[in-house]
Amino acid sequence: MNPGSDDLHVLLGAYVLGGLSDEDHRAYSEHLRTCAQCQTELGQVSGLPRLLDLAGPAGGPHLADGPAAVPLPLMTEPDDARVTSLLGEVARRRRRRRTWLSGLAAAAAAVFFAGGAWLGPKLTEGTTPTPPTTHVAAAAVPGSAVRVDIALVTRGWGTQLDIDCEDMPKTGALALWVIDGKGHATTAASWRATATGYSKVTGATALRPNEIQSLEVRTETGKVLASAKT
Amino acid sequence: MPLDDDAVAEIYREHGPMLRRVVWRATSDANRVEDIVQEVILRVWKQAPEAENLRAYLITTARHLIVDQYRAAGRRPQQAQLVEVAEQDSALDRALDQVLVEEALGRLQANHREIVRCLYYERLTVAETSVRVGVPEGTVKSRAYYAVRNLRVILDEMGVTR
Ligand SMILES: [Zn+2]
Repeated sequence: MNPGSDDLHVLLGAYVLGGLSDEDHRAYSEHLRTCAQCQTELGQVSGLPRLLDLAGPAGGPHLADGPAAVPLPLMTEPDDARVTSLLGEVARRRRRRRTWLSGLAAAAAAVFFAGGAWLGPKLTEGTTPTPPTTHVAAAAVPGSAVRVDIALVTRGWGTQLDIDCEDMPKTGALALWVIDGKGHATTAASWRATATGYSKVTGATALRPNEIQSLEVRTETGKVLASAKT
Repeated sequence: MPLDDDAVAEIYREHGPMLRRVVWRATSDANRVEDIVQEVILRVWKQAPEAENLRAYLITTARHLIVDQYRAAGRRPQQAQLVEVAEQDSALDRALDQVLVEEALGRLQANHREIVRCLYYERLTVAETSVRVGVPEGTVKSRAYYAVRNLRVILDEMGVTR
């Protein structure tokens, strides 16, 4: 590497954007023939002029003079209000989704140990897929009004259990039990009842989703409140 | 699993302003900007993509929504400027790229942006830029170098890979 080499690398910028003196242009062109680093970097940025040409006259509003160059009539409303409105919409869609689930659970409620299962939202675009997820609506056993939605998320270590429950007992402790093919039951989550009767908790089990035979939500005394076969 | 409220709010706070600018400038329909932006975030909420490049994912989703609306609108003349400009989807894509390039320039550090403006858009020489900006020629050259590198990174992050 000769002493002036570092100075020459940096000319890449003005070589791409334009504006080099004839002397510098000649020196850089010469340098480029033998510098692998510059050849690689040039390959990455040589498309920029074509993109820059796409921008509006003189590079668009951001390059116009003055500090706040982008006229945005929409930026006046405080952002927190927008966040609130967005979360309101999220809640609305979540409710809509849950109504659907509990409706299904209610339909199955007459049958002891019945449950419904279906696939979670599918990805449509070519993005990294979310882990395979199955939703299960645990049917309330007779005499119980609880509504339970459990999402079984396949993980490398086993199964993540996202539990959404409503109209639960308001005192005491609750637990989610997973039962494998041999009828062996283990606790995958336990939590304390809330005053609203609503809770959202996440449990975990080493069993894979296909090894889970059924799921039960039980009270601390072992009474089964809801159950589902997967 | 859909994302939780905090994650949705965070994505919205972080990327909402950028999305709003892009959608606004691509459609210039103030009434629909917030709808489109919220729809983009809601799709992300629902699909919880584990994309390593969330910004590019958001922009791609916004692009699909704008294109869908454009098609659904049947190119009615009172629709946004894009519709007037864009006779075909390729023209629409070009218009969106324009918006994204302008957005990328906006994200560039101010002293780098200044150099791009002088050297590229105003066709000044390095020497003239040095006088205009009031820094040595060596500084103009190194800023031009970092401006070009950073612009490439920003565009990559936005999913503009051409
Ligand atoms: Zn070099």
